[in-house]
Amino acid sequence: MRLVGFRGWLPLALMATLIVALGGYATAREGAFLTNYNIGNLLLTTMPLALVSLGQTSALLVGGFDISVAALMTMCVVTASFTMTPATSTLGLVPGAVALVGVGLATGVFNAILILVLRLPSIIATLGTLSVLEGASLALRPAPEGTINEGAVTTLTSGFSFVPYAFVGVIVLAVLADAWLYRTRSGLALRAVGLDATSSRRLGMATGRTVFLAFAVCSVMAAIAGLYLATEVQIGSPIIGNYALESIAAAVLGGASLAGGKGSFVGALLAALFLTEIDNVLPLFQQPTEYAQMTIGALILLALVLYQAPELVARFRSGWLGVGRLRTREAQAPTA
Amino acid sequence: MSTPGPVAPLVLSLSGVSKAFGAVQALQDVSFDCRAGEVHALVGENGSGKSTLLGIASGFVVPDGGTIEIGGRRRRRGSPAEARRLGLGIAYQAYSHVLDLSVAENLYLAAAPAQRPKHGRMEGWASATLGEFGLDLRSGAAVGSLSLAQRQLLEVVKALLGRPKVLLLDEPTTALGPEDVARLHALVLEESRGGVGVVYVSHRLPEVLGIADRVTVLRDGVGQGTYEAAAMSEGSLVALMIGRPLQLAFPSRAEPGAEREIRLAVSGLRGERFGPVDLDVAKGEILGLAGAEGNGQVQFLRALAGVERAAVGKATCDGGELDTSSPLRPLRAGVVLLSGDRVRESLFPVLSVRANATIQVLSRLVRLGVISRRRESSRIDELVRRLRIRMASIEQPVQSLSGGNQQKVSLTRPFLRGDVKVILAEEPTQGVDVAARFDIYDALRAKAKEGVAMIVKSSDPLELAGLCDRVVVMSRGRIVEELRGNELDERRIVEAIVGSGAAREARRGAGDAQPA
Repeated sequence: MRLVGFRGWLPLALMATLIVALGGYATAREGAFLTNYNIGNLLLTTMPLALVSLGQTSALLVGGFDISVAALMTMCVVTASFTMTPATSTLGLVPGAVALVGVGLATGVFNAILILVLRLPSIIATLGTLSVLEGASLALRPAPEGTINEGAVTTLTSGFSFVPYAFVGVIVLAVLADAWLYRTRSGLALRAVGLDATSSRRLGMATGRTVFLAFAVCSVMAAIAGLYLATEVQIGSPIIGNYALESIAAAVLGGASLAGGKGSFVGALLAALFLTEIDNVLPLFQQPTEYAQMTIGALILLALVLYQAPELVARFRSGWLGVGRLRTREAQAPTA
Repeated sequence: MSTPGPVAPLVLSLSGVSKAFGAVQALQDVSFDCRAGEVHALVGENGSGKSTLLGIASGFVVPDGGTIEIGGRRRRRGSPAEARRLGLGIAYQAYSHVLDLSVAENLYLAAAPAQRPKHGRMEGWASATLGEFGLDLRSGAAVGSLSLAQRQLLEVVKALLGRPKVLLLDEPTTALGPEDVARLHALVLEESRGGVGVVYVSHRLPEVLGIADRVTVLRDGVGQGTYEAAAMSEGSLVALMIGRPLQLAFPSRAEPGAEREIRLAVSGLRGERFGPVDLDVAKGEILGLAGAEGNGQVQFLRALAGVERAAVGKATCDGGELDTSSPLRPLRAGVVLLSGDRVRESLFPVLSVRANATIQVLSRLVRLGVISRRRESSRIDELVRRLRIRMASIEQPVQSLSGGNQQKVSLTRPFLRGDVKVILAEEPTQGVDVAARFDIYDALRAKAKEGVAMIVKSSDPLELAGLCDRVVVMSRGRIVEELRGNELDERRIVEAIVGSGAAREARRGAGDAQPA
């Protein structure tokens, strides 16, 4: 049995090709790229984006967006600067880390309530949450302060040779998640809810519970991403990069449809690795990071066009010949 | 037809159910039940509350009052999941398919946990299930790639998958040809003989009388009684369905005898849900478009206006070809669509009456690039009087007006343009109170007398009988009957819609050519 339809494989193949191509090019041009040190570093710096992209994929699968992940990650870094200080005992670090997950879960539940009970569009609901969390982070840490426990950092970033254990864990998680999504009934039900909520409800599925879980998972993943971000910045900083858009970019490059119901966790992971690789490679060539931004933007547009090529071709044909596809309200299948 | 014994238990029972949507009372204190092993039909005109009643029974619509029992057990929360657990299966009129998923996946999602195989064995199980119900479909095909008839049959199979105690079928034959209807009916009768209670909702009275044991009639959300089907005729059902003594003064028709000058001619026009359609409308003529909902009338009208695509065929306006490839071109040629969905498609609810009226003709009111308020106001004031629009001022937002007055505002547009040749009106008086209706009829007739050709799509047979010079009836996308002169009365139109006599004959030939 197929795991994903042929077109489901396209994003994965594209991302893998791009990772190898960029890596090959960098290796040929600059010896410093393909070293244990640099690759290990690349894999570690991929961690936050990889984790949050997996979460974002789950929100996109039910047809939602989670903009608040960026502020949640910052909030987790700030929280870690209180619960995982150098003074915290080794045993105290566990509840310290669990506190972060708690912050994530609470945020996810809050978002889900806004979306399900107050019926706000997810993009607006999570934008509100983003603002609240940003403010809270600034209130707790007006300036970067409070170092993160060094022992915790060492443990979280440890690995076998140059490969961090955590990265292996993320790969396993993404593969399992995709297997669940495409090989179980509950995975199918999740996709059905994202593709057509009305039909799913008519079939007696618990659409509300599905959306609730998807947003809870998204926030918990963002919180764990925040934990890895904390090992990177190692200080309670209230201002950190734009993970909201980057995580959506990674999920979409990995094959997720903005209309819901389609996506791949492995694809999102590969895309996160590729996006981080761009950031990693440019300094080796003494190129400014602004180019990375522009490249990523262009890639997203390219990917969106490429992934929905069959629909575009069909539309193009009907536009020219004036026959064939008819656009009725019912026939308008959602496409990203 | 099965004959349920006197002791057959009730599998579905609704008592004293009411539901209002905003100001519209969709159902008022309606009771309905279905016994094991019987086919109980539910009939009524468009908007009589049939779909709302099914929605309540299936848990999709939460009633304002009343109790619902499925399989003898009182339902607590209204949710489709609970209704299914209690043994209710429903085939929705608008289907419950996820178009991007395959037939197998859709069947799998619809199956009850007990019937479901392991996920890995889904394909084989789905093929076997399709075979069991005699449905010739590839289980791997996306449901979106199926024809409408195939989707409709698949919907019924999905409803049966859970081995329900009561099966609800909402207009299950709208996309089916006569052969498929016969197959479906055989399937339904087999289920009812097996002890399933079937609730059958349809516009097509011959179908209903052919399959039902009992019939319940709804009119304007109120039950008109339950009858043994054997004791009813199409005529007696129609009388119960319309049952209105109302006879108000419609504007007088154009004098016959004058030379017919064809303004709009359509030949072989065909789209996904209709066609091929041939018809013509003369200057000054109002042509009515009748039919049960979902038989392609809306799509046909919209294709003419360029809002939806027609696949093949031709339309001419005053002899010149009408380009329907975009909404703008028919509009420029003087073909105006009055959309049935006024609020979403035609009006700007937050803008004023003035802005809504003149938005299509602003270029004519402009002086030196600035809109001349004086010209604008003088034109509108005259129309407001003529159409009897009731409002405080023309600066009032359209959303603050009543439905009837909103419709009149959208009607001002063709009046402001001097060059309108054809008006395509979709449900021009839907949601409009009686007095305002007659203002709208007067306005439409006045426009026709100026030489405009008009097609009015309406689900109200009284309106079609009173307003139109000629009425065509559509069924399964084709014109099956044309009524004119003395034939234009409400009862005759309803009979044509529900498929009596000649219409049934015509449909027999047309039904199997449903475009896919």
